[in-house]
Amino acid sequence: MIIKILLITLLAVLAVFVIWQKITSPAVRSTALIVLAIGAYFVWQPEHANVVAHVVGVGRGADLLMYLWVVVTFSVVLVLYLKIVEMSRMLTELARRLALSQPIYPPDRSKP
Amino acid sequence: MSSIPRLHLDDVYVVVAAYCEPDIIMETVGTLVDCFPHVVVVDDGSPDATAERASRAGAVVLRHSFNLGQGAALQTGIAYALEQGARYVATFDADGQHAISDLNRMLEVLKEDNLDIVLGSRFLGESPDLPRLRWIGLKAAVLFTKLTSGLRLTDTHNGLRAMTADAARKLKITQNRMAHASEIINGIARLRLRYREVPVTIRYSEYSLNKGQKLTGSVNILVELLVGWLVR
Repeated sequence: MIIKILLITLLAVLAVFVIWQKITSPAVRSTALIVLAIGAYFVWQPEHANVVAHVVGVGRGADLLMYLWVVVTFSVVLVLYLKIVEMSRMLTELARRLALSQPIYPPDRSKP
Repeated sequence: MSSIPRLHLDDVYVVVAAYCEPDIIMETVGTLVDCFPHVVVVDDGSPDATAERASRAGAVVLRHSFNLGQGAALQTGIAYALEQGARYVATFDADGQHAISDLNRMLEVLKEDNLDIVLGSRFLGESPDLPRLRWIGLKAAVLFTKLTSGLRLTDTHNGLRAMTADAARKLKITQNRMAHASEIINGIARLRLRYREVPVTIRYSEYSLNKGQKLTGSVNILVELLVGWLVR
């Protein structure tokens, strides 16, 4: 029982944070809230997670959650990684333009 | 330094990528400007006096705000050279291991034989004091390049190159770090550029050995290349 209260409290705090922050778009915010709500529901009624797991052919709800977790985590890592690569390309371009815009000419020769 | 008058080399831009080379950069740039009127040093975000000394020695200096890697620095220098209307672009290592006379010969071959790019090779030439481990690493790189690009080169990681402006424009380097050498080779194969290797002498001083790539560097290069392919 304690774990249910603890987890649902944490999910509620997360939900408040999702609503409060204005960085993400409304679509992302709604999706996050729906995911949090589903999470809270399964925390409260773990047997229902088992039912869903049985439907898709997994033994326990907890196992199903873990499999989903692995897939989601991997996707997030991949997306973030691609984003970092993209950002480093942009940074390179920026540093290059900056360097090209400010050439330092040698003291003994004026600008060609 | 050289018997070739500077006037004839007015259309050549020599690009030197430098990162933390304050002790040797003046010497390298000094010998280059004696022969070449256009020497461009790209200081890759060195926190020391590299940029200031390169400028004092007579090079045009471009500064990266932070360290991006040798590939990125070369590309910045090449972009500058093309902007300035270079007809030929050469790359030259900052650590003083290349010889001006080799570069001159490579430029002659490039012009006279109507090639797109000329690459320096230490295995066709003399490279005294090449350490055994370095030899194994470089030969492995040659084999790897042969398998991936199909080009029969003897030295794939030589910093001394001379190319036409047209080739330089097509061979845009996107590998910021050390994988750019393989990237250039792959580009030569992909674009079907007319290339040749010319024997050059590499002076392995204690200085350049300490600065140069370790064998472990080739593992990093492999990873960089793989990532480059994956997210192209």
